[in-house]
Amino acid sequence: MKKIIAVVRREFVERVRTRAFVISTVMLPVFIVLMAVLPGLMMRGTDHTSRVAVVDASGIGLGQPVSAAMLAEKLGDRPDAPPRYSVQVFPASAAQLAAVRDGLIARTALAKDRRAHGWDGVMVLGADTLASGRLAYYGGNVGAVQSMSQLQRTVSNALATVRLGKSGVDAALVKKAMAAAEMDTTKVSDGKLTGQSGQDSFLIAYFMGFVLYISILLYGQQTMTSVIEEKTSRIMEVLTSSLTPFQMLLGKVLGVGLAGLAQMAIWVGSVFVVSSKGAEIGAMFGMGADALRQSPIPSVPAGLLLVFLLYFALGFLLYGALYAAIGAMCNTVQETQQYAIFVTVFILVGFFAVFSLIKDPTGGLGVAMSYIPFFAPFTMPVRWSMSSVPPLQLALSLGLMVVALLACVWLAARIYRTGILMYGKKPSWGELWRWIRA
Amino acid sequence: MAAANVRVESVTKRFAGHTAVNQLSMEVASGGIYGLLGPNGAGKSTTIRLIMGILEPDQGKVLLFGSDHGSRKLSQRIGYLPEERGLYKKMKVLDHLIFLGETKGISRADARRRAHDWLERLGLGAWALKKVEDLSKGMQQKVQFAGALLHEPELVILDEPFSGLDPVNAQVMKDIVVAIAAEGRTVLFSTHVMEQAERMCDHVTIIARGETVVSGPLAQVKADFGGRHVALAFSHDRPRAEAILTDRALVAHLDDYGASAELQMAAGADPGQLLAALVREGVGLRRFEVVEPSLHAIFIAKVGADAAVAPARAGAAA
Repeated sequence: MKKIIAVVRREFVERVRTRAFVISTVMLPVFIVLMAVLPGLMMRGTDHTSRVAVVDASGIGLGQPVSAAMLAEKLGDRPDAPPRYSVQVFPASAAQLAAVRDGLIARTALAKDRRAHGWDGVMVLGADTLASGRLAYYGGNVGAVQSMSQLQRTVSNALATVRLGKSGVDAALVKKAMAAAEMDTTKVSDGKLTGQSGQDSFLIAYFMGFVLYISILLYGQQTMTSVIEEKTSRIMEVLTSSLTPFQMLLGKVLGVGLAGLAQMAIWVGSVFVVSSKGAEIGAMFGMGADALRQSPIPSVPAGLLLVFLLYFALGFLLYGALYAAIGAMCNTVQETQQYAIFVTVFILVGFFAVFSLIKDPTGGLGVAMSYIPFFAPFTMPVRWSMSSVPPLQLALSLGLMVVALLACVWLAARIYRTGILMYGKKPSWGELWRWIRA
Repeated sequence: MAAANVRVESVTKRFAGHTAVNQLSMEVASGGIYGLLGPNGAGKSTTIRLIMGILEPDQGKVLLFGSDHGSRKLSQRIGYLPEERGLYKKMKVLDHLIFLGETKGISRADARRRAHDWLERLGLGAWALKKVEDLSKGMQQKVQFAGALLHEPELVILDEPFSGLDPVNAQVMKDIVVAIAAEGRTVLFSTHVMEQAERMCDHVTIIARGETVVSGPLAQVKADFGGRHVALAFSHDRPRAEAILTDRALVAHLDDYGASAELQMAAGADPGQLLAALVREGVGLRRFEVVEPSLHAIFIAKVGADAAVAPARAGAAA
């Protein structure tokens, strides 16, 4: 036991001391903050009033109701928020249309410099716009999906109001009828409200699956490489004379795993900070408090975090043992690739299963995969976050994982024991089988 | 009588295509310095790996301290320096020694203290906090040497401990090996340099092509070999000795080093005759001594010059 701890300590300390570890540990929180801030910046569309020129060639004065509807839109929910658009209507006959439009489009370039008469966009209302609902918009920001759909929604509403008005429906009634529906979603777990929105659950599930996927690949490969390094540096010969393969393997997998967990703790911690101090961080980037509230990093409930960490640790050890065994079988990193691909396939299947689980977290596939130890670390946290998992299922899944882990470490240690000193020779599958039985 | 520290019983180890060790037996009693000698490729390292349980013998068995449970169970009593030196390149020297000590079951605090002592003793005190990869090869070898001895094992097994060391460091290591033996502990080391073994070992086993050539206490080996041997050193007129040295009536076997030579007298010939002949021819002599046969001479006589090619070359280099 003391020897295992010595190996664990060595693996952990040596790994944590490397520059790569320190840099990646620091970079991810920075990345997370950017992730939190950038989508906020990008997704909310423009943060200033857009100057839109409306060319009204409808012949029925459609420009007026459309511009009125646009002028009513504000940036944000507060009553004193600045208007979203400033609009000027240019009436034009069908014959003048092209000339007026092109003249205005030519002046969109000026908008960048905020010069007078510069337009962010030009909207063209044609003669058939009211009937067909077709209109054209020219602007530099047509790629901003959210801005565009918002504008489209506004114009649709304006057109609908005009059509209804023409059919004799009272304007006040139209306004009432057009009021938008707003839906708040809240997850229910064990018959209790969790206070999470459905979107939050999806994002948590996705994020966790991704973190696990990345860290298993990253640290699993490290375990494998470090076994190979030990073989090539021949330090193994000294170690095998004092440590059992099981001690070496377990120590290595645990040590690398602890380093991974430490990094994860820092990362998850920074997610917590970003999600709980979102407003302050948003303020640092000059964004409103509500900007970050829409950001894709939701708060993580403690129960989910526990489940995630439990599965992370078990899954990590399981895959670590597999990677270590592969390392023991091979002599160079290149050689490992043909074996490592099998493990990678497991990981990928587990990871991509998350996407189908997100659609149907309580389905048979999800339940079945939670019982397969190689996939459970991916699927179980997702199921936990998106639906309520029966405790019996959770216990069984965890139990199976522990059993599989021990079996895997044992198996890997058998291969390790023989493979570790096999220099310069790659085993056949038959030989591998003999090593395991030996 | 206590069980032998190491007992190898007719062990055979085959690798794909060739037999590395064939029916080899040897016994290392407690205390003293035991040399495992042979040319490159003779099977020394394989034998040591078999003793350490790193390789499993195809036939025969290895007993350590009378037990066949393998070196790992006894790792606290055994120190091992492999032929291929291996250390974690990125680790700090001190940390590395502490780690090696811990794997042998000594406490961290103890390991730290002993590591400091050893580094001072080996003149590496200033390097304790440097990374292993910053050290020269010779220094790394000393670090690994210290790692093998940190836990003060009763039995120290060293595979080619002096190879690759400059004379000063080789001397430091030699002094340590001698000191270990003086404390009543046992050292088993392999080498291809006969002269070195000859000066240090109480017991030797010479192997060639995986088989024992001779084995026993050094004095015994020499006495058993018998014959009368003369060591010569020339000061001038060396060519004039040519005819005499190739005279089969006088000289049975000649090992010529140019400025010096070692030869075995032919049966019935007398060293006096040889000396008289050399003086008569006017050969300038610096040394003329009737000696015990050198291990090298014994080796060549037993194995033949073919097998001796490797050690002769290595010996010249060393």
